[in-house]
Amino acid sequence: MNRAGQRFGVARIVPYLYAIAGVVLITAGIGLVETRFEVPNLSMVYLLLVLWLGARHGSLPAAVAGVGAFVAYDFFFVPPVGSLLVSGPREFLGLILLLAAALVSGQLASSLRQASAVSSASAAESKALYELATTALRLPEVGSALDLLCQRALELPAVHALTMVAIENGEPLVVGGDKLDPSTLRRAAWSFESGTSVGTGLGPDGLRFVRTRGGARDPALLPLSGGVAVLSVDETLVDTSQRRLLAALISLGSLLLDRRATGVQAQRVSTLEASDKLKAAVLSSLSHELKSPLAALRAGLTSLLGPAVSLDREHREMVAGLDRETARLDRLVGELLTMSRLEAGQAPEVEPRSFPELCGAVLERLGSPLADRRVVLQLAADLPPVLMDELQVDRVVTNLLENAIEFTSRGARIEIGARTEGDHLLAWVENEGPMIPAADLGSIFDKFWTGRTSGTGLGLAICKRIVESHGGRIEVRNRRAGPRFQFTLPLAPVPASP
Amino acid sequence: MSGRILVVDDEIEIRRALKTGLTGHDFDVEAVATGEEALASASSWRPDLVLLDLGLPGIDGFETLNRLRQASRAAVIVLSVMADERDKVRALDLGADDYLVKPFGLDELLARIRAVMRRQADVAAGAATVKVGDLEIDLGNRLVTVAGREVHLTPTEYELLRYLAVHAGKLVTHTILLREVWGAYAVGEPQNTRYVVAQIRRKLGDDPAQPKYIATEPGVGYRLRV
Repeated sequence: MNRAGQRFGVARIVPYLYAIAGVVLITAGIGLVETRFEVPNLSMVYLLLVLWLGARHGSLPAAVAGVGAFVAYDFFFVPPVGSLLVSGPREFLGLILLLAAALVSGQLASSLRQASAVSSASAAESKALYELATTALRLPEVGSALDLLCQRALELPAVHALTMVAIENGEPLVVGGDKLDPSTLRRAAWSFESGTSVGTGLGPDGLRFVRTRGGARDPALLPLSGGVAVLSVDETLVDTSQRRLLAALISLGSLLLDRRATGVQAQRVSTLEASDKLKAAVLSSLSHELKSPLAALRAGLTSLLGPAVSLDREHREMVAGLDRETARLDRLVGELLTMSRLEAGQAPEVEPRSFPELCGAVLERLGSPLADRRVVLQLAADLPPVLMDELQVDRVVTNLLENAIEFTSRGARIEIGARTEGDHLLAWVENEGPMIPAADLGSIFDKFWTGRTSGTGLGLAICKRIVESHGGRIEVRNRRAGPRFQFTLPLAPVPASP
Repeated sequence: MSGRILVVDDEIEIRRALKTGLTGHDFDVEAVATGEEALASASSWRPDLVLLDLGLPGIDGFETLNRLRQASRAAVIVLSVMADERDKVRALDLGADDYLVKPFGLDELLARIRAVMRRQADVAAGAATVKVGDLEIDLGNRLVTVAGREVHLTPTEYELLRYLAVHAGKLVTHTILLREVWGAYAVGEPQNTRYVVAQIRRKLGDDPAQPKYIATEPGVGYRLRV
């Protein structure tokens, strides 16, 4: 300590020695020249010395040289020579100018030196950061980029350790730097959840450190958007440039943590998508496998009923019965597949569509079974477009109408209606069939609930699922005439006029 | 009605059933199992109508349909176990005359076959006027009347109605309407066809919920009723 201090003192005296020696040499030089030649303003030579000292050793040695030059020039060259007195105002002004020029130029040179020192330090800092950032961002593995960043931080004299911790599904996970003990990991997770930093913080001029009590050496914690930076730093050794560099490193680390989180998220999404695709492919193949034999059965059975095959009446009835059963099986398989598709996450592809037009299409398709019912349309005039997946809503209207046909007899009234109510469309299918027992009103839309001996009990569950995936709701009420199934669908937003 | 029908299906039971059933209704039937055989038979045997399954081994149903359309004038009804509207639209866009989802009964198939064959005969005869109930479309004079009263349509509306009328009874997709009415460079917006059809219906006094003239097939297109 003592030796270092002495060396420090000697080093500090050297520039002043340069100043004194310089003044002595220049004074001697001027003395030599002036005896032979008549050169005006030779005092300017002192300024060269002052400039050099200012640029090289700072403003104080430069000022010492300036004052020395002033005194020496006055003593040796300003009349009366050999005294510090000045004979006239002209000489006096010249001396004052020399002093002022020496002091100002020394000051200027020294501040230029400081500025260039600062800028070369920050250029080195920027270069280091730039190299780290480009390398880190180019690395395909975010983990190795974070490791590189932590290693770079350890090159700073004040930094003992830096670890980057990601929080994944609420669990802390070391993704860069040294391993942490479980209690520090728990503290890191707590710091992330509560957003509390411990022992450190990001300030306007870099990372600042708060001295923790006593000799406690718990690492400092800085929560980031995607995780936590865990740091051990010797506060006494931290200077401004290290603060800044650390802040920049940790900011870069924070970006890398975010990138890592995005990557993890994207991977999860693509896994989910792959599983949805798989489900769709399995369902499509299953649908093919289940429907193909049914297709052969129906084509074969109905061909047997044709004129080419001479069956007696009893056999014809048998074959016709088998075909009806096959058609029923086909319907049940269809409902199961539809439900599976909806449950596999088939989202509605909604677009603005006309509800009356959709009703027209369904009524036309159900033409013959509806022919002996009294169908009444109660669609309000000028219904605005509805935001719907028309194929899915087609299924809803079809199921409700088929339901109405099943529970009514020939000549019964079936009403289809719709009107707007607030920001949605209210549509209903009402029939003159038997009332639904109050106890069943709540469960009628449940899967596999069925009010009859046949059927899958999926038709109404499918309706509920589709309506709800459109953001609507479906319910059943007993009206005076019979049950009324009603559901809502969102109206399409009115397009802004150009 | 009689005629030559080519059945293309890889399932032997379907081939056997359709051959028996259709022969019983006085059609001349040949049945093959692959697209290659179908194309060969289409050029050598010259059927009037092809019943084409989409799920074929080797060259698939869509490709077979595409090549059939280039090589033969036979009408095509696509049979598919897939009830997906996108398959339906794709087949119709490729020039299929109709699309029937399996399983189906023979009666349903016969009705479709007869409708397609009747339409073919009508198009061949080139009727000058198409009538649907009160609606008359005089193609020669570009005149549209409902119960004798003239209806004024814009050129686009008339072109769309004319195309449906020339193919009366056939399901026409949004894509085909866009191409035929707006020209080859029209792309994408089926909303156009929906808007124009809504205008035509309004002018004809056709209630979309109970259409007398233009029927809608959700997700696919329109059909002029016959």
